[in-house]
Amino acid sequence: MAGMCCGVNIAETEATTPVEPSSESARRRRMEIHQFRFVPTDVAAATQEKNGRKRHKIDKVIDNNKRQKLESSVTISLAVTDERNENEVLDLSESGSQSVEIEPDLPKYGMTSVCGRRRDMEDAVSIHPLFCKENSENSSNLHFFGVYDGHGCSHVAMKCKDRMHEIVKNEVEKEETQWKEAMIQSFSLMDKEVVNYSTSVLPSSTSGSNCRCELQTPQCDAVGSTAVVAVVTPDKIIVSNCGDSRAVLCRNGVAIPLSVDHKPDRPDELNRIQEAGGRVIYWDGARVLGVLAMSRAIGDNYLKPYVISEPEVTITDRTNEDECLILASDGLWDVVSNETACGVARMCLQSRRPPSPAGSPGNDITVTGAGESSDKACSDASILLTKLALARHSSDNVSVVVVDLRKNL
Amino acid sequence: MTTSFNNNVSDKEAQHSCFEEWMELQQQDLLELIHNSDSSSSSSTSNTSASSDFNLKQLIEKSIKHFQEYIDTRRHLACSDVTAYLAPTWCTTLESSMLWISGCRPSSYIRLLYAMSGKEFESHLSNYLQGNRSGHLSGLLTVQLNSVDELQRKTIRQEDQLSNKLASLQEEIADQPFAIIANEVGNPGEICREAEEALDRHAKFLVNVVEEADKLRMVTLKELINILSPLQAVDFLIASKKLHLCVNAWGKKRDHQHGRNRETKQERNTCPTLSGLKN
Repeated sequence: MAGMCCGVNIAETEATTPVEPSSESARRRRMEIHQFRFVPTDVAAATQEKNGRKRHKIDKVIDNNKRQKLESSVTISLAVTDERNENEVLDLSESGSQSVEIEPDLPKYGMTSVCGRRRDMEDAVSIHPLFCKENSENSSNLHFFGVYDGHGCSHVAMKCKDRMHEIVKNEVEKEETQWKEAMIQSFSLMDKEVVNYSTSVLPSSTSGSNCRCELQTPQCDAVGSTAVVAVVTPDKIIVSNCGDSRAVLCRNGVAIPLSVDHKPDRPDELNRIQEAGGRVIYWDGARVLGVLAMSRAIGDNYLKPYVISEPEVTITDRTNEDECLILASDGLWDVVSNETACGVARMCLQSRRPPSPAGSPGNDITVTGAGESSDKACSDASILLTKLALARHSSDNVSVVVVDLRKNL
Repeated sequence: MTTSFNNNVSDKEAQHSCFEEWMELQQQDLLELIHNSDSSSSSSTSNTSASSDFNLKQLIEKSIKHFQEYIDTRRHLACSDVTAYLAPTWCTTLESSMLWISGCRPSSYIRLLYAMSGKEFESHLSNYLQGNRSGHLSGLLTVQLNSVDELQRKTIRQEDQLSNKLASLQEEIADQPFAIIANEVGNPGEICREAEEALDRHAKFLVNVVEEADKLRMVTLKELINILSPLQAVDFLIASKKLHLCVNAWGKKRDHQHGRNRETKQERNTCPTLSGLKN
């Protein structure tokens, strides 16, 4: 319980942040790989098949209806992504003869999350490669990336970090679900969980916790978090956003925002707030009721119905020009433009192995504790963006996730 | 520095000279650090780099040793007069306003590091991406940033704990026995043994907090230096000493403008020396 709250979760973030360096995630992944083995061979072959035409053919064999419903459009797949981690591949080949056929598509990613110039850490990041499969018959792997920027206290962001991917998994695995509905439903459930959590826990039981708000009402009602969640499938990127964290796609050197910040002065948001009977007051920037500088968030019970938890969902087809996806909290976006961020990330990915600085070759290893499938180039990109944000005097926590979207080179 | 035999004067003298000597020493160390940083960044052949690393490490150790000696002297003096260290008369009002338990906030080391590494980062960004990593602090590696972040969070937590400790002690003054004694005393000026004893007991707890704060400052500095390469550490020490000396000089100037002239035995001529140091 105390782990939910500020002081302690700092340690927790340390331990679990870059996708649980612990053996737990490795174990989980191994388990998923095992599950994977029982997938019918033709389907397994389909993921492996790089030829788009063939894959398409096989996809048709699968319950096409379901698939279409889920992805809301016909999949003309542009070759399966081939972003395996070498270690994982090695691990697999050692573990079984069938391994070659069943290599899962592991994403390459890097993440950095620092306290920066704030005294409180209220950002949380969660990354879950292979977090679920679209449905039992379809073997395409889905990867989950989420950035949560808390306000008031950190417990809502931490809750999102712990639970959002599980909720999304549940929703996605339901039959007859479409992405947009699944994501909207997930955010709504996440929000309910957060609100229930803070009202159901007796303050007395948390008084010993380090949580800044100590889950006491009314302070606790004024706690919330942004959420930008990207689910990356072999052929799509589904981004759901609520608040002012942001997802940006770098495609052929061009920065394409996949989410639009929910600021109270965004004309449509301003309208929505006013129609709900709320007001936007300019007090150190536009704020809902003069308090919250964003128009949507998970939590923030006291600002409902003006501040809502419904995400805006974008579904983007992946193309061969896609280079990377950047998810970050406003600690980055406040001081670095989408274009600059893409430029930096892109350069890192292109120089696949940046030379180590003179005199310290020993430091060149990726020892970020970022889990086995984190990638050097992506880590470099996320760290460089974080450093750029700090160099530009970002005054907030900075969290950056960079996902490599390139087809295998 | 001359010491008077009058007990009261000697306390004050000793406290002042402890600080003044520390500032002097920092200035000397600063010059030496700058000199060595310059020469070791200019010699870039791998042969000399090992020996210059050794050189730099020794310099760093020396700086830390000086800091430790200052802390030790201070602690010794604080045992008999701790409040002088919580509200020092030798500091300028600018410095005093920045004090956290008789010194700087340990977390400010990390802010300083971020400021220094950010300074040239942007201009080096394109170079950096091409693999030419010039400038020491701008090249903070992944592992380093993560370690620095970890250190920062830990430091802030410990800092807050100490702040709370001091807060409790500050509240104590409004509680028993002080408040009761004050309530019952007829003339505030009269000697009251009970109050004296209570204040002495209270001071012991204050000494404790100051000691812990100094310890945290030292531990944080050491851990930070361990994260950094020798050259980065030297750059960091240079930056921190320059900052300390400058804030002291700026404070003097401001105090002077407001008609607060502090009698310092030897007026250090910080500004000209510092401007002469600019590379």
